[in-house]
Amino acid sequence: MSLPNDDNMSPHAQLSSHFFADLLDSVIADVASECHRIGRLGLDRNLDEEEEELRLSAQARARVADSSNSGETNSKYVVDIFGQTHPAVASEIFDCMNCGRSIMAGRFAPHLEKCMGKGRKARKVTRSSTAAQNRHSRGSPSSTYSYSNSTSMNRLPNGAPGVTGEEYSNGSFEDL
Amino acid sequence: MTSKINHHQKINGQIFPQPCPHLADFRARSGSKPFWALQDCLRVKPPGGRAAIRRDPSEVPRCSTCGDASHPRIYACMACAAVSCHAPPQSSHAATHAASSGCSRRDHEIAVDVDRAELFCCVCRDQVYDRDFDAAVVLAQTSGSLLKPENLRKRRRIDYRPWTPDLRERTVMVNNASPIDGTSTSSDDLPLGLRGLNNLGNTCFMNSVLQALFHTPPLRNYFLSDRHNRYQCQSKNGVRLCLACDMDAMFSAVFSGDRTPYSPAKFLYSWWQHAANLASYEQQDAHEFFISMLDGIHEKVEKDHRKPHNQGSGDCCIAHRVFSGILRSDVMCMACGFTSTTYDPCVDFSLDLEPNQGSSMKTGSTKLSHSCNGEANKMKSSQNCGISTLMGCLDRFTRPERLGSDQKFFCQQCQIMQESLKQMSIRKLPLVSCFHIKRFEHSSARKMSRKVDRYLHFPFSLDMAPYLSSSILRSRFGNRIFPFDGDEPDTLDDLSSEFELFAVVTHTGKLDAGHYVTYLRLSNLWYKCDDAWITQVNENVVRAAQGYMMFYVQKMLYYKASENQVAS
Repeated sequence: MSLPNDDNMSPHAQLSSHFFADLLDSVIADVASECHRIGRLGLDRNLDEEEEELRLSAQARARVADSSNSGETNSKYVVDIFGQTHPAVASEIFDCMNCGRSIMAGRFAPHLEKCMGKGRKARKVTRSSTAAQNRHSRGSPSSTYSYSNSTSMNRLPNGAPGVTGEEYSNGSFEDL
Repeated sequence: MTSKINHHQKINGQIFPQPCPHLADFRARSGSKPFWALQDCLRVKPPGGRAAIRRDPSEVPRCSTCGDASHPRIYACMACAAVSCHAPPQSSHAATHAASSGCSRRDHEIAVDVDRAELFCCVCRDQVYDRDFDAAVVLAQTSGSLLKPENLRKRRRIDYRPWTPDLRERTVMVNNASPIDGTSTSSDDLPLGLRGLNNLGNTCFMNSVLQALFHTPPLRNYFLSDRHNRYQCQSKNGVRLCLACDMDAMFSAVFSGDRTPYSPAKFLYSWWQHAANLASYEQQDAHEFFISMLDGIHEKVEKDHRKPHNQGSGDCCIAHRVFSGILRSDVMCMACGFTSTTYDPCVDFSLDLEPNQGSSMKTGSTKLSHSCNGEANKMKSSQNCGISTLMGCLDRFTRPERLGSDQKFFCQQCQIMQESLKQMSIRKLPLVSCFHIKRFEHSSARKMSRKVDRYLHFPFSLDMAPYLSSSILRSRFGNRIFPFDGDEPDTLDDLSSEFELFAVVTHTGKLDAGHYVTYLRLSNLWYKCDDAWITQVNENVVRAAQGYMMFYVQKMLYYKASENQVAS
């Protein structure tokens, strides 16, 4: 490594740059030694595989972007692999196991909510605070995140079968 | 690029580096005594710092030939403790020393790097490795932090034995079961267990998770092999709420061969009774449902109510047997190096997306600010391109984190509150790993929440070895070969840390108006499960999708592509 021209610098500056050069050399040797050990002991990650994965991923995204209008996103209105078509709202009819009435599948959840006396009208508190409360009070370890520093509110509330044109998506949004 | 010489061997999970001929000679002549004799000279700077060789704590090593103390590499001869520098290509006084020490020259071939405590062969001019040397260094490094091998219960491994029914068993099967109708209108070549689920009204969050669970191999096998028979359970316990019975019913329905969409209505009814706080007709979170469901199965199936079962061992119920792992948390005092370790069971891994690295980064630049612990091998191309990856999130999850001065921890050794370093690692991997990506961002300043749509790359095959406690611990101590590595009860072959992706739950749309879809991998073909609609998709669609929950199963359980899914 070439040292700076001593003539241009004061002795003080020369010393500083010598120390810096030594420190830098030492750090480089540290890294080299660590990598050498990792390589020789077989502890290194398979970077080739990881790079290949990333390449495939980038390729996939490019291909999917190109064919974004191929109907992939609208698979709801096509024939499935068994050769069946289905209506947008599930039309199977069965009996409610709470009250016994015949209900259409696609409307079962809103019916059950009223039937069981659950839902926003029945409860006084918001879902978010109840969920947080329940997590602490229930104490079941499977829902304890001892390693998470963030709050437990990391949720994506969703369930709507479609983004547009769903008649029962009105009025079901919780105020956050 | 790399030579094909085998520099190390792995036997039973233990690493055995291959010595160069000179090191082998040295070992043959002197054994490991010279390494242990170094103990007094090994100085370790806390916390958990690097070991150096100093005869005297304040010694400044100088080359005995040229008097230089500033060379980055200074070596002490293992035979005579002569200190020499090594500065190729200009000069190597270390090599000269080895070559010139007369008839006992061979003893002086091996030296030790005084600043890094690494062995060096002066003839090969290369760093070499030895288990006993590392053991001596580790002893010096860990005496301050009271690190001991862990004493978890040994789990016996049973070899896989293929099974076919004998005549008596076959008779029982024929008499008590009816064959699945193989003449249904749909194609017989399609995998069993593929069946659409009707959306009952904002229930795609539930459908997506259920699809993943129906194809979770250990869970599927459990229910399909009648391990929780709903008729027996009800006749024994009466008709009562049992989510496992409802699961059993759903597995039967989904694998029956009937391809018309199934309505999981009974299950919804049961689940709403179990999780009263989540029982409402509204859009919900798939991950929250997943956790709630596992909890429900656990409560109803827990085998022995008298003594509490360690959930980490998975003995309590099938849900934990499949999904439960054990996380290890180490908190190390920055002053003295004392480390406090705790273990907690977990049923999944909730990962933060890495903070935005900037979308347009040139391939040449790297961001050093992310490698806060200076691990050179972590600067991979993904950081160069600014793409978030699952492994990047796992790196982040297991990185040493400096707890701020407002989060001081009471050090038992120092007996005062000290700043500390916290690091997570995985003590025991579950059979099935579910990775949940925290795509929810809460901004307290703006009092709003938003969804993070940023793309996350996830691999089809995943090796979790770098995130195991053994690996994390080892890297904390300079990647030394731990003497007790092989004694760890769960030291496994490389295979057991390898996972295969089998299901991806994706989310599209906004926080309050979106949709869940699951992609399933069966016989290496991908199927999209969008409520009642099952379609086949190219793997590129899956790679490009926005992953929210990714399910991986241990490779040794993963059934490779087979030509015919249906057993005749």
